[in-house]
Formats: sequence, structure tokens, C-alpha cells
Amino acid sequence: MHSMSATPKPTPEDACPPAALDGVRVVELAGDFTPYFGKLYADLGAEVVVVEHPRGSRQRREAPFIDDQPGVETSLAFAYHNAGKKSVTLDIGTEAGRRLFHSLAVQADIVVESERPGALDQLGIGYAALAKVNTKLVLTSISAFGQDGPYAHYAYSDLTLLALGGLLYLGGYADTPPIRVYGNQAVYAASLFAAVASISAYYSVLSGAPGQHVDVSAQQCVTLALENSAQMLELEGTIRKRFGGEQRQAGTGVFATADGYIYLMAAGIASNRFWNNTVAWLIEERVPGAEALREPQWAEQDYLASAEAKQRFGEMFTPFAAAHSSEYLYQAGQRHRMPICPVCTPAQVLQNRQLLAREYFVQVPHAASGRTLTMPGAPYKLTQTPWRLRAGPPRLGEHTSEVLARLGVGADDLKALAGMGVV
Amino acid sequence: MAASRQLLSGVRIADFSWIGAGSYTTKMLADLGAEVIKIESSVYPDLLRTSRPFKDGKPGVNRSGYFADRNATKRSITINMKEPRGRDIARALIAKSDIVCNNFAPGVMDRWGVGYADIVALKPDIVFISMSMQGASGPEKDYIGYGMTMTALTGLQFLTGLPDRVPAGTGTNYPDHIPNPCHAAFVLVAALIHRKRTGQGQFIDLAQTEPTLALLGPALLDAAVNGHTQTRSGNAHECFAPHGVYPCKGNDRWIAIGVETDAQWQALIEVLGAPEVLGQPRWRSPLGRLHERGQLDELIGASTRAWDSDQLMRALQARAVPCGAVRDAHDVLHRDEQLAHRKHWIRLEHPEMGETIYNSEAFRFSDALVGPLRAAPRLGEHTLDICTSLLGMPVEEVERLAQQGVLK
Repeated sequence: MHSMSATPKPTPEDACPPAALDGVRVVELAGDFTPYFGKLYADLGAEVVVVEHPRGSRQRREAPFIDDQPGVETSLAFAYHNAGKKSVTLDIGTEAGRRLFHSLAVQADIVVESERPGALDQLGIGYAALAKVNTKLVLTSISAFGQDGPYAHYAYSDLTLLALGGLLYLGGYADTPPIRVYGNQAVYAASLFAAVASISAYYSVLSGAPGQHVDVSAQQCVTLALENSAQMLELEGTIRKRFGGEQRQAGTGVFATADGYIYLMAAGIASNRFWNNTVAWLIEERVPGAEALREPQWAEQDYLASAEAKQRFGEMFTPFAAAHSSEYLYQAGQRHRMPICPVCTPAQVLQNRQLLAREYFVQVPHAASGRTLTMPGAPYKLTQTPWRLRAGPPRLGEHTSEVLARLGVGADDLKALAGMGVV
Repeated sequence: MAASRQLLSGVRIADFSWIGAGSYTTKMLADLGAEVIKIESSVYPDLLRTSRPFKDGKPGVNRSGYFADRNATKRSITINMKEPRGRDIARALIAKSDIVCNNFAPGVMDRWGVGYADIVALKPDIVFISMSMQGASGPEKDYIGYGMTMTALTGLQFLTGLPDRVPAGTGTNYPDHIPNPCHAAFVLVAALIHRKRTGQGQFIDLAQTEPTLALLGPALLDAAVNGHTQTRSGNAHECFAPHGVYPCKGNDRWIAIGVETDAQWQALIEVLGAPEVLGQPRWRSPLGRLHERGQLDELIGASTRAWDSDQLMRALQARAVPCGAVRDAHDVLHRDEQLAHRKHWIRLEHPEMGETIYNSEAFRFSDALVGPLRAAPRLGEHTLDICTSLLGMPVEEVERLAQQGVLK
């Protein structure tokens, strides 16, 4: 185990600042729920070894691809989630592969996996086996439904997890089937909650506590995103529905503009703290009918929720929004201190001046293609231990010999293992 | 679980956060064992305290289920931050804390004399996180918004819904619930690890749009590298079909099905009992199904209508077809056997609300206890206790300051 008690030497001004997770060793057995988990640790300085099957992890076959050309080194999904990690190929279906995985886990602080519940135990490399030799190990098992229970072995996808977690029901339009949120959000949710649980377990290990087996259910992670919908039923007997394209209450929703859409929350959440700002702006813009929004009834939540209020607001605001650009409405509305934002396309996000001023996007070398990839950067800015992408995405097995050498596997052994299809 | 150990015990958080992402962050840390002291104002209470749903539909600052769920296990002190003496008390509290958390617009904490610059002079190793909407720097740092407007600004709204309809979004303030609290909780514990190793605290600037954008990486890369602007595609999958949500028996009942392999497709047609309609040879290959997915969706929907969603889910799962009944609020609370098995919903006793439901966390530990352990605090419930036990103030002074509106 790496010693965590040593104080790092003072950093010279020209050197890289320290990282919060310097020296922390994470082994990620590449699986459905692990990629973003590993990325969170790698970007704060942990050494993350991603263990892939010799044919490559599933994410290497995930779209989009560079120039739309599928290939083991061209997946942009893989590049984004794995940049800064070390790739080791290992077939844990073989005896030799299991032994090597076991040795890696013995030296690790955190191991994360998302195999079928119980699969690692059956292979003899589950928590019971690993904790015996590494009592401080945090082993995190992320699965669709948790390690046991009636659905534990159900087949799943991001869509079905959103369905069973309850978030899917809230998305879409009143007159259509429920519609999923874009982009594998159930998978991300599982990675994220697992990362929080695991780093907390590791924190306690640093204080002398024993290791932990962490059991994370993706379905439950989705259920944590239901806002107040469970409480609406429990306390008021109401089932929340979907309302895409409609005003949630008067002045809250999507409106078409001259060149796209904006999202307006004229009153704010659960109050009308911004209502007067909205009205002042609309009057200043000489929007016909805006004066009527000063009537006292607009201060009442019940009125804002009424069909009449939504219709009146819509009749007044829709023509105004349609006559202006999203950018105009965003800047003018925000100048009047009201919550309004453009509905941006990904291309517009890349040009967002606030994000550019904060240097949000980073340029990452992609060795396999010789290209430089622009991708999202720091999700948080730390003054002492800044977020930093340490390297581009690894080629399949790029670090196999380097990492296995630490386990005492020499060049000849490696050749033999490769011949057997283990690495 | 017999374990009584909590992973973050001994960590104290002075929590100025309110409404969404901030409160959710500290709730998670409280469930992991941190002592979270929520600094509130009865003049200007957390807006969720006055948000529906209320117990029995009756409004009251201690009756909101929306507030309760994301503030369980915390303690509450009321301080009037406009009063100099109030600020002194807040600073004394921070001096005894490990973390300060807030999700105000930039500048609010500074105006109260509890910004990072003020606090670091008082407590050099403090870990201080600010979670404003667009961060502490940049031309649009003072812009205001909520989860829903962040969803719009980041592109998530644009990408979610049907191509020929208005962008639908998630129907919730999604960034408040997953991207922001999880990133914030993760980085806070990482900063505590750095402090444990070096004694050094730090300032963390989390712009709430940025973690949400991090979860849109592939779409942004596709735009940046390939020049593609992805758009809304409903429930369709770019590589597999059928992949959608299909009607079941009853009012607004649905099942989500995603077929990836030919074997799953064969199993689906057999379970639906429609081999003569769906058994066309051209649909036996992934590409054949993808090309005619619209037609497949209609034919599958015609068959699923006759099924109860849970019965169909069980029948399809017996054949390993990825699917899930679409759960509404009643289903997640009362019908889902797996959430029940995981004891996802727990009931906690509250002096005004009685016993009500709370989400548990999504993680379980082999050897540690995870909350929530106590119901949400009433507004200012722990003011006296915190002032006397933690800050060593005499009871009479606390009472006098309460009367003077300082501890209010």
C-alpha cells in the first residue's frame, strides 16, 4: 500500500501543483458503470489502471467515433472517459488473468467493478477473497439494481434503468409516451454516487478504519433524481406527470424565439421573488399586455398554476419571444435579474463566452489518430490541487507491461501470457 | 446492519446552502456521517421550506416534504446575517468547522463577511466550496438561474425530446439532483484528503453548469471533433432497434424495452406471441430492425397494450430481454419489489410532520452505517444547543440575541 502519511515536498513555482489524490491507486475493471467513476479519480491525481479484456472494453465500441469511423482506438466516448488512465489488458476468465488481477487489487486502495452481481466471487476475486489479503481495500461494486434482490439479475440498459427508477415517467410530453433524458444519465448517476461513497470509505481508511465493500444500485441513483414527486404523492396524494412543451406554471417553460428557444422561469422556484423583475423588463420592452401582470393575483402560487394564468402569460409573451433572438432575450432578461437562459445546441455550448472565459474546454492529444480533441474540462476549480487531465486516452493495453512489471511479470512472462490470450 | 461506524464522522460542515444542489450535497455528506449545521434565516427561509408538498396540504416552514427530503439528518441554527453580532456568531461557528458550503450567487458570502478571504484569515485550513450557477469568474458569473435553466444552457434540454417538437428536458431540475451534488460531495472529500495529508485547506469554485456539461462529453466531442450537432431523437437508440417505450394495459402505463441482440429479438417476438406479424426475415438482423424501427415500434406497441407492465417485464426478463416497467411515484413507493428489497424508502419521525418518507442513499457498505438517521430539522431547532454546547455561549445571551432578532 502506498503510504498516505508522508507530507509532499514544497512545490517549486514552475512545477505542477500537487493533486488531491496523488499516489492513490485505483483499479477499474472496465464495465458498464465504471468509466466516469475512474475519470473522476484520475483527474484529481489518482493512478487509475483500467483493466480491459484483450479485445477492448465495451466502451471502445461506443459511438461517436472520430470521423464516424468505428475502431478500437477511435471511440470519442472512450477517449473522453479514459483519458489520463492506464490501460492494461487482462482476461479474468483465465486462471492466470485472475491471479494478475488479484495481485493488482492487493496493491490498490480502491477497486471498482460492475460485473454481474456475484461474478467476481465465483471467480475467486470477490470482496471476501481480496479483503483477506488487503484489509484496507475499498471494493466498489456498481450494478443495475444492487448486489441482491428480486431484480438483481435483470437485463438492463440506460433506458430501462430510467424507467424503473422513475425519472423516465417525468420526461416527455403530456400526449406522448415518456421520453428519456439524453445521454446515459442513469449510467452517470451510478458512477457518481459510487465515486462519492468510495472516496468517503477511503477517507475513513486513512483515519485507520478497515476497508469496505461498497454496493451501489443504479436504479436507486435514478430514484434520487425524482425531485419532490414521491413526497407529492405521500403528502398531497398527487402523482406528478410530464409536461414537456407546456408552461409548468405561468411564465415557467420553453418559448420559441426568432432563432431557437429560451427557458424562462419568470417567478423562480416556489416563490415569486423574480416576478417583479420580469414584469418590469416586459413593460420596458413595451410588450403589449405586460401592464396587466402587475395585478395582485399574479403574486399567488395557485393563480400562477392555473390554466388561465398560463394562457394569459403565453398570449402576451409568445409573440415577444418569437420576435427576438435567444441571445438578446438572455442578455436583456439577465440584465433585469431574471432567470432566463437560451436552450443551447452542443455547437453553441462550445462557443459560450462564459465557458471560454473560464477556459472550461481542454485540448487533449489523441495519440492513435494524431488529432487533438476538444473536450469538457474541470467540473470544479480548486485553488491548491487543481483538476488536471494528465494524458490522452490510452491505446488498448498501452500500459500492460509497465503495470505488470510492478507485479514482477517480466518480458518473457508477458510473451507467454500474450500467447495464451491472457493479456 | 449492525455497524455503527460512519465514514465521515468527525467532519463538521457550516452549511449556508439552500434550495437545490447545495442542500443535496450536504445531505449526502450528512448521511455519510458528517455533522452538518444548516445556517438559516427565519426572515428569509430556504425557499423549499415554503414549497409544496406540505404535510396534509397545510403550508408551514416545518411542513414541506420537498425541503425535508434534502435536509434530513442536518441541524438548524437561525442567524440574521445582516446583524454584525450574527456574523460574529457565524464566524465562530465556521472556526469550529472543516467545510463551508454555499450555493449563493458570487459576492453574497463576501458581503456578509464570511467569504473565503475573510474565513481563511480566521481558519487557514478551511475547505470552502461555492456553488454558484456559472462560477466565481467570467462575464456571466452574476447571471441567475435554477436547475431548469442550467439544463437549457448546457444543451441537455435541446437534446432531450422529439425532433419535431419543442425540447422537452427531464421535467425536473435535473442538475440539482445528480451532476452537481455528486461532483460537489466528491471534490469536498478529496479536498479533505488533501488536508489530512498536508494540513492545507482550499477554495473550490463549482459552477453548476460545468458538472452538467461534463455528463454531455460525447455529444460535445461529436460537435467539436466531427462537426456534428446531435439533436433530439426521443427514445430511439442510434445503433439498436427496437428501443423505446410501449403502452401497456391501464391509463398511462408503459414499458421500456431495448433490444440489442438477435436472440433478444427472437425472445421478444415469442413472448409477445406475435411471430406471424414480427417474424419477418428482414428483421432478424440488427440493421434490418434499425432501418424500419418506426414500423417495429407500432407493431410492438399494438402487442404490448394487452399486457400489464409488470407481468410483461417479468415474462421478458425470464428470457433476458432488457426491459423495465415505467414507474410513476406510486410504483416507486409501493410497487417496485427491488426498491422495497433495498429498503430505499425509510420513514422518519418529525415533530410537526409525524412519520414521513425519505429517500435513503443509493449505496450500502459492508461495515459502515449510512443515513439518513434523523428527520429534517425544524427552522432554528438547534440554535440554543449549537450556541451553548458548541460555541460556549451562556443561555441568557442566546435568549437575549433571539429576542433582539440576531439569532432569528
